[in-house]
Amino acid sequence: MSDNESETKEIRTDGTGIVAPDNETPTWSERKARKTGLSRLTYEYFERARREDQDLRTESDYVERDVLAFPTWPHETVRNLSIASFFVGMILFLSATMPPHIGAPANPSQTPAIILPDWYLYWSFGLLKLNPLNPELAILGGQKIMADRTYGVLANGVVVGFIAIVPFLNKGSARRPVEQPFWAAVGVAGVVFAMTISLLAVKNLMPMNVDLLFDLTFLLPIVFGTVTYAVLKTMREGYMYNLNRRYYRLRPPK
Amino acid sequence: MSLERKEEHDHKAWMKKKDLTPIEATFLTTLIWLDKRLRIVDYLELLETLYYKVNLQMPKSHTEQYNLDNKFWYWYPLYTLGLFSTLAYVVAAISGALLGFYYSPATSGDPTTAYNSIEFIMRDLQFGFMLRSIHRWSAQVMVAAVFLHMLRVYFTGSYKEPRELNWLLGIVLISLTMVFGYTGYLLPWDQLAFWAGQIGVEMSLSVPLAGEWVAQLLFGGFTLSQATLQRMYILHVFLLPFVVTTLIAIHIGIVWVQGIAEPH
Repeated sequence: MSDNESETKEIRTDGTGIVAPDNETPTWSERKARKTGLSRLTYEYFERARREDQDLRTESDYVERDVLAFPTWPHETVRNLSIASFFVGMILFLSATMPPHIGAPANPSQTPAIILPDWYLYWSFGLLKLNPLNPELAILGGQKIMADRTYGVLANGVVVGFIAIVPFLNKGSARRPVEQPFWAAVGVAGVVFAMTISLLAVKNLMPMNVDLLFDLTFLLPIVFGTVTYAVLKTMREGYMYNLNRRYYRLRPPK
Repeated sequence: MSLERKEEHDHKAWMKKKDLTPIEATFLTTLIWLDKRLRIVDYLELLETLYYKVNLQMPKSHTEQYNLDNKFWYWYPLYTLGLFSTLAYVVAAISGALLGFYYSPATSGDPTTAYNSIEFIMRDLQFGFMLRSIHRWSAQVMVAAVFLHMLRVYFTGSYKEPRELNWLLGIVLISLTMVFGYTGYLLPWDQLAFWAGQIGVEMSLSVPLAGEWVAQLLFGGFTLSQATLQRMYILHVFLLPFVVTTLIAIHIGIVWVQGIAEPH
């Protein structure tokens, strides 16, 4: 029984779980409780001992670290600083070479030929152009259940909602795309759809047949998703074999 | 550290005894001065407890465990996109604050005061053209980085088990980033801004049930006016910065607590 208990209480250092805090560390209430008599002496001794430890640590040039990892100073800090300055420099370079210009002042009485939001909202703008997908229901006598505009706005909610529930649909410990071809395919299809729907948003600027563009908007994601699925599924066989071989070499099965 | 009361609280004699350097003496004097007034010692003990509980014991990460450092580096650019978007956010905040000194959100006049102030910034203000350019580009870069960051998280499965809440928070953040971009896009009050605003009004009017209410709240009416511009301005420079900064802090805090999910 006690053996079992000590086994379960053993601190796991394999990184799979949070390591329990140091048992020696008294809680705040414990410290308060030890304010008189022998317990106070004990507490004082612990303090002295801890200070002694601390002195020994600061004296030696051996750095005691509980986390075996990349050192914050200088490695991580230097790396982060160089990356940060590189990025900020890139932003400054872009701003210097491609400054934005400003169009004609707002004129409510003159609708321009091209109305566009910024590029990152093209997908949302494109979702407003789903009119042909808004079904005319026979039960309503060929009426649409909602206006095309409402349909488009709700489509935004559907897209964002789907992205939001992904963690609750896709569970398990698999992380790499090869390990789960289906979800990688969904991801690729999503990315391609974001691009095609953005192109649909600027359909009056696209040098191609609008109907074809509309069909491609929905076909291309499916095509790319399928290809991704097929490729990853094929890769998975060999990949999983290698992964497991490595894993078993690391921790041979008992 | 000890709870024992020291001899008569004669801190000055104690300090003299210790043969301190000037820096140490100044530090101790300041510390004692503050401690007499604010009881820092209490908080130090709390901090000490925190240090032992939080800082000393951390799980090994996957890379450390399997010694994958040599394989991990080529993923690093993808793993730094979050930092990149935060940096772009900071740059946008600084340049935006400077722009705010010169911009006024008013639709009076022809062309409007807002438009004129942008023109002033671009034409007459020393360094103004560059300033606006920096603000715009850092905003573009931030949105792009946030999108790519989300893709990285998706394709490495980093949204899984303990991290679902951070994924949801990330979706809120990416949406707010786009709202940030949209409100900023409207501020120059040029043709593009005006008609993008028009689309915004129509979209919010199309929201089932709450449509008119949403349009009133966000755009201050069903047609674009001074109220619209003013609301966009307050959203852009007051409301969103507070909300988004807080959420970014929580987002990064959760990443800090949970550790970075590396691909297995």
